[in-house]
Amino acid sequence: MTLGKQKKVGQIFSHILLAVIALSTLAPLVLLVINSFKSNSEIVDSPVALPTEWSLKYIISATEQINFFKSIWITFAITFISVLLLVMVSSLSAWVMVRSKSKLAVFMYLGFTAAMLIPFQSVMYPLLDIFEKLGLKNIPGLIIMYGGFGLSMSVFLYHGFIKSVPQSLEEAAIIDGANIFQMFFKVVFPLLKSITVTVVVINSMWIWNDYLLPFLVIGNREGVKTLTLELYFAKLTSGQYGNPWELIFPAVFVTIIPIVILYIFLQKYIVAGVVDGAVKQ
Amino acid sequence: MDRYYRKKFLPLALPALILFFLVIIIPFVVGVIYSFTGWRGTYFAGGEHFWEAFVGFDNYIKAFKSKKFIDAFIYTLKFTLVAVIVINIVSLGMSLIATKLRHAASIYRTIYFLPNLLGGLALGYIWQFVYEIIFSKILFAKDGLISIPALVNMTQDNTKALFALVILFTWQMAGYMMIIYTTGLNNIPKDLPEAASIDGANAWQEFRHITVPMLMPSFTIVFFLTLSKCFMLLDQNVALTDGNFGTRMLAMQILRTTRDGSPPDYGLAQAQAVIFFVLIAVVSLIQVSITSKQEVEM
Repeated sequence: MTLGKQKKVGQIFSHILLAVIALSTLAPLVLLVINSFKSNSEIVDSPVALPTEWSLKYIISATEQINFFKSIWITFAITFISVLLLVMVSSLSAWVMVRSKSKLAVFMYLGFTAAMLIPFQSVMYPLLDIFEKLGLKNIPGLIIMYGGFGLSMSVFLYHGFIKSVPQSLEEAAIIDGANIFQMFFKVVFPLLKSITVTVVVINSMWIWNDYLLPFLVIGNREGVKTLTLELYFAKLTSGQYGNPWELIFPAVFVTIIPIVILYIFLQKYIVAGVVDGAVKQ
Repeated sequence: MDRYYRKKFLPLALPALILFFLVIIIPFVVGVIYSFTGWRGTYFAGGEHFWEAFVGFDNYIKAFKSKKFIDAFIYTLKFTLVAVIVINIVSLGMSLIATKLRHAASIYRTIYFLPNLLGGLALGYIWQFVYEIIFSKILFAKDGLISIPALVNMTQDNTKALFALVILFTWQMAGYMMIIYTTGLNNIPKDLPEAASIDGANAWQEFRHITVPMLMPSFTIVFFLTLSKCFMLLDQNVALTDGNFGTRMLAMQILRTTRDGSPPDYGLAQAQAVIFFVLIAVVSLIQVSITSKQEVEM
């Protein structure tokens, strides 16, 4: 065999292997889609077959049971406001920490990074206790908590990025008579676009999918549950006698549709954001 | 110029400081203090205030004597050990193969990355179905495609469930870790492997003496991410077995301790949470210092 031929065989073999892995990655999701259109008995009897009829019955009843349109709106609002809060607070503080170069700033930065080692479980009970006493065991409280938990990582990312942003533009802005907020939002913030994408992607993914924090703060309260919570309680209450697959499959299906659609369109930014966030740690 | 920023430092950093203290620092300190008291959630056993309810190291002793906690501790260590090894081998293998491809590598990456975007709870439910119905009734049952008893009813046995969780988590994480390895592989200067092959190195020697040392920064990142994510795993654990058959990991153990007894023993839960913090801090610091020492200076 010539070297060229050997390489070609190698390429084909690699493609086959990677395609098999791709199929096994997609298989559970394909199961999810086809079983979202079946009754419980059909799911259990022929789980890998296509549905006998593509009826939307189960999807509609699942969206009703998990209050889909309400809970997706709540989840979106929580995610959006928390991420906005995180971006504003962490970019401003990281910027002023980098620029002022004082001992206090260095100390604060060390504090933020060290806090990344604190797992959520180590603070959750006292946190809930304190927030309950402050009357914040509700959605605004939840947003504040996300603001606090996402802070370390976001400050860390902004801090690393701002160090390489030249200061001369800011000096020019001051000479032109801009105040500090004008300077930050008109001059500095636009330069931080790429790292802002990373911060937004990482935090929205985590907050959108989070289960534990809403579970502890909101629990089973009516009308304010997030998507993940609705899913959890729907399974819990209807799953006392075996698993209610005809509810779980369509419910999981509708909860992941928005993310998958977003992924298809914003793939480049999402992957780059997540990887950037990881590599800069 | 520095002075200009220093004057504005406090007002601009204040929102961040408030959030940080309110959500992380104060609860953390309070948590450490409460772990030495008879905290019951809404009151303190032995007094009206926490300073009247100190119990010394009782909660810590209780934690280490509690079979549930020790079991969860060991189960977490076992899971982390197996999962970190498996995820690393799979994702490194995938990226080694994919970087050699001339076409379509990005399509594969897009597909592999997808599970990482979805919530652990939702994924756990799908996989529960895969294990209970697809594995147990169709693929690996006695009258199934091929009979492999080890892969039947994986969610109903302590050891099998560990591997069920490893498979689920590898499925979810491998694509993400693969992309980090791929970034690292693409950063290796092309002339290094070329020089090695001219010198007569075989594929294994090239991998061992060029790829691995040059990939150390990626190893640091992937090990750090997989270690901490495995240690703190919760959603998938809840969704797959809900801790039945002794499959509780530490995160779930801390969450459920307050439901295990009446009155709820928050002091004990908090002591476990402090041990959990120490464990994670020590392991991640050791790991980062070991792998960063291995990184080659270029």
